[in-house]
Amino acid sequence: MDRSDTFDIEFTLNGEAVAATVPARRLLIHFLRDDLDLTGPKIGCDTGHCGACTVLYNGRTIKSCMMLAVQADGATIETVEALAADGEMTPVQQAFHEHHALQCGYCTSGMVMSATYLLEKNPSPSPEEIREGLRGNLCRCTGYVNIVEAVAAAAGKETSA
Amino acid sequence: MILAPVEYCRPDTVDEALEALNSSPDARALAGGQSLINVLKMRAAAVDLLVDISRLEELKGIVRHDDGTLEIGAGVTYAELAESDLLGGDPRAIAEVAADTVDPQVRHRGTIGGNVCHADPINNFPPLMVALGATMHVVGPDGAARDIPAEEFFTGFFTTAVEDGELLKSITVPALADGTAVGYVDLEIGEAAARAVAVVRTEDDQIAEAKLVIGCLPVPTRRPEVEAALVGTAVTEAAVAEATAAAADGVEPLSDADATAEYRKAVIPVVAKRAVLAAAKGGHRG
Repeated sequence: MDRSDTFDIEFTLNGEAVAATVPARRLLIHFLRDDLDLTGPKIGCDTGHCGACTVLYNGRTIKSCMMLAVQADGATIETVEALAADGEMTPVQQAFHEHHALQCGYCTSGMVMSATYLLEKNPSPSPEEIREGLRGNLCRCTGYVNIVEAVAAAAGKETSA
Repeated sequence: MILAPVEYCRPDTVDEALEALNSSPDARALAGGQSLINVLKMRAAAVDLLVDISRLEELKGIVRHDDGTLEIGAGVTYAELAESDLLGGDPRAIAEVAADTVDPQVRHRGTIGGNVCHADPINNFPPLMVALGATMHVVGPDGAARDIPAEEFFTGFFTTAVEDGELLKSITVPALADGTAVGYVDLEIGEAAARAVAVVRTEDDQIAEAKLVIGCLPVPTRRPEVEAALVGTAVTEAAVAEATAAAADGVEPLSDADATAEYRKAVIPVVAKRAVLAAAKGGHRG
């Protein structure tokens, strides 16, 4: 069992194998943004409340400001950059565009990741289930109504939320 | 925020984790990290070695023993608790409380062991564990093992009976007696202003046995006088309100950004009443 302040890690990032050397104290969000130039995930509150840094870790949403980069070792990580990799927006992204589900846009990548995960688990959520699914993502513009409508639309359902 | 320089290791077994935890007085176990990472960001604790226990399979199990006792590994996440088929029966309250913990992202990482060991007064599992009569199984170096009743586990503000160099391995929760149900009520103002858990057995529309634990206090606190007053009480709002009126007597809640101590004292009897009624009516959430 190695004990160190620096680690060589290998993981899968947006479908590609990545190898890197990281200090033990480096947060995953700093590693993604500053070392790998993936600036989709944002730093909002930096205390695990706002969800702007949400990424998928082994298929589940997590807040990347609440994990160490070294913990990515051996894992599969997907950021918002994975979603429109071929230049085509996903249904969730398209719905956010059509329903004006972003104002300043700062929370959007986290919202889109949580919404994508929610629809994977529950393809036809009720408005209440959408709100519960997005409970870990805050929009300081308070544009929640359009966000919930966008997620419902992406699920193929209209809502009067 | 950038963490202070720290070393890290990822043991493959609980024994290796204990060895690492005992290699330095400032070593800390890192489970889901949903509290500890913030502690490290604030540099509120001096930590020189993070021992990552988040992948330890030995801490991951949820097992229903033959006598109905449920054994939950300390490393089981809230999401795993919420989704476990084994929690379909009693005490269902564990799965319901897990499913309502913070938000999906936190539930994917945060663990029941981290929740009780961090022992933040506003955490949701400590009062539930005390109310359910859980036992905490703590391991130490050289094969040492201690079983600590939940009622003795929480020793103070952010403090538990787990000593330096020890690790919480699992929690066992006894099956509920027939006719018994759990009521869990919290008042979410900010993080949480007040919380009460009641375990109640009813007979012929009367309360035959009751346990009441108040949370959001420095330690989860049982209210034996209220429990005694509840026995023989009819399951009506008026009768239960009278029996739980003294639920805040003698307790000293904290004042923080979410609620003043005075406010908390005022609402404790309210959440206590609702928790007892929810339990007496066989439900879980009031």
